[in-house]
Amino acid sequence: MNNILRRIAKEDLPFVFAAPALIWQVFFIYLPLLVLLFYSLDFKLSNYFDLFSSRYFSVILSSLILAFITAVICLIIAYPMAYFLAMKIKRFKTFLLFSLILPSWTSFIVQIYAWIFLLQKGGLFSSVLCKFGIISQSTHLLNNYFSILVGMVYCYLPFMILPIYTVLEKMDKKLLEASADLGANKTQTFKKVVLPLSSAGIMAGFLLVFIPAFGEFAIPDLLGGGKSAFWGATIVEKFLMTRDWASGSALTFTGILFLLIFFVICYFVYNFLKKFVRTRKLWGGHGYK
Amino acid sequence: MRQIRFENVTKTFDGELILNKLNLTIPAGQFFALLGPSGCGKTTLLRLLAGLETVDSGKIYLGQKDITNEPIYKRRVNTVFQQYALFPHLSVFENVAYSLRIKKVKEEVIKEKLYDVLKTVRLLGFQSKSIVSLSGGQQQRVALARAIVSEPDVLLLDEPLAALDPRLKEQVLVDLINLQDKLKTTFVYVTHDQFEALTVADQMAIMNLEGNIEQIGIPKQIYEFPVSRFVASFVGTTNFVEGILRTQDDKFQVEVEGLGRFDVFTPVKKDWLIPGCRLFMGVRPEKILISKKEQEGFANNLTGKVHNIIYYGRSTQYDVRLKNGKMLTVFEQNEEHFPQEEIDYDDQVNLYFQKENVVLLDH
Repeated sequence: MNNILRRIAKEDLPFVFAAPALIWQVFFIYLPLLVLLFYSLDFKLSNYFDLFSSRYFSVILSSLILAFITAVICLIIAYPMAYFLAMKIKRFKTFLLFSLILPSWTSFIVQIYAWIFLLQKGGLFSSVLCKFGIISQSTHLLNNYFSILVGMVYCYLPFMILPIYTVLEKMDKKLLEASADLGANKTQTFKKVVLPLSSAGIMAGFLLVFIPAFGEFAIPDLLGGGKSAFWGATIVEKFLMTRDWASGSALTFTGILFLLIFFVICYFVYNFLKKFVRTRKLWGGHGYK
Repeated sequence: MRQIRFENVTKTFDGELILNKLNLTIPAGQFFALLGPSGCGKTTLLRLLAGLETVDSGKIYLGQKDITNEPIYKRRVNTVFQQYALFPHLSVFENVAYSLRIKKVKEEVIKEKLYDVLKTVRLLGFQSKSIVSLSGGQQQRVALARAIVSEPDVLLLDEPLAALDPRLKEQVLVDLINLQDKLKTTFVYVTHDQFEALTVADQMAIMNLEGNIEQIGIPKQIYEFPVSRFVASFVGTTNFVEGILRTQDDKFQVEVEGLGRFDVFTPVKKDWLIPGCRLFMGVRPEKILISKKEQEGFANNLTGKVHNIIYYGRSTQYDVRLKNGKMLTVFEQNEEHFPQEEIDYDDQVNLYFQKENVVLLDH
């Protein structure tokens, strides 16, 4: 008996600790997904065929595009910020990092409403821009694609900065010296050393932004005025407004499928590039006879 | 072949003076070792030469060319870093080929050069391996190959063996000597390990904690004729015996309190050698003969009692307490296969040394 207990403690303890999380996942993620699948099929596949012929297909596509643009803009803004934070700034590093993350501690909804006030007519942005004659009095800054992107980028930026900052911070700074010593100027060093070594952070940040951005429904709804249809918002509408659970579930699954396809493509492209950088010649390497 | 010259180089970090008006000439085409204790500024000197740091004042010349303000990536000076700083995302081949790729050298030429250099460092067959899969010694050789592939004027080695185990160190040292013989490139080797410096160097410089060069010379000269107490104690082990300089019949003697007078000999007359001055006699432990019997033919002898014995394998160390209470260290080569005197703790022993084996050092 004692032996059995000891064996359990030794070998199965990790499993015992992991069990609550696993049970939670099974009951609140995988089982609901199965239920959803059941609803979506509704004993016929027609729900899925309907999707491809209807406007819902374009809804998924526009969500993919929005998520992609958001992730790319986040990357363009986040990379230099993370770079300077990790490489150039010596003092107040933690404080600066903290102040970057601080806004995301407040609720998403509060952040979005703050942007509504900033962007609306007579708000801070439009009045300042009007004063300098950059936009006319009648230009709308709110309820368009621009305002959606502003909100998306604002909310998801920290998720891009953090992983990139982490890999850059961990990177051995001696590598930069070695690169310069071997004749590379700053641009060459960045291209050949810094960028490849931070690719894991870029990939992580990209996915951390892309996935939630794809399913995001509050930001496009509130800052876009509900004019353009996106995946998340359409699912909400299907389930809560029209009570059409069958096509709502079908839409959900189709979206997830598209997301998976996108990941698989990302994965292969990433590995291809990594291998290419490492040995240059993908097939054959540098063999000497 | 171009020599390296530091002229009045001063460098401070955060207000702390590291190098103060340093002058140093490193001859071309030689294996030059820079030896000094940790934190003496020898790595700073190396980084200034590589271009990783800039001088506060002074000039650095490579041959006739002033390279003081030349950017690092233009200098024909390459470094083997202490922890190697190999690119973890690149294969062995791409690591070594890095500088050639930067120069946009043709693929065929790169392959040719890489073949030669990988052969030199015995890494053929490893070219497509990833860096993390290599052992410490192999990584060290990749770092070396990467630094020499573009045929620099000067190769800098910053404690390159610090991360290797002792057995491997000896092997790598021999490899480095052979490599320098083959390439004829100027090697500047920075270390705090006197054994490494003595082994590899054609010329060596000893740097003290204030960042000043105390002595430059060939290893034998440094070891046999140290110019200061610092050099004598940093390179090898030395017994220091304090005394007063006397003359008798135009020959120097040193009078030591409680021990009497010792004959000394100095090949070069130094101006501080004034009879009556206080000084130190430096005697290397292996230059002293220890015996319980009377021995003939030695200029100096003294007696003492064995206080401690440490067996090192190839030699034995005896710490002998002299009559004046001071300790003297003696090394004795071990030859157990031939009859040797049995010396034990608390034995009364005679110590002998020649006057030529004494180095006179400033107080």
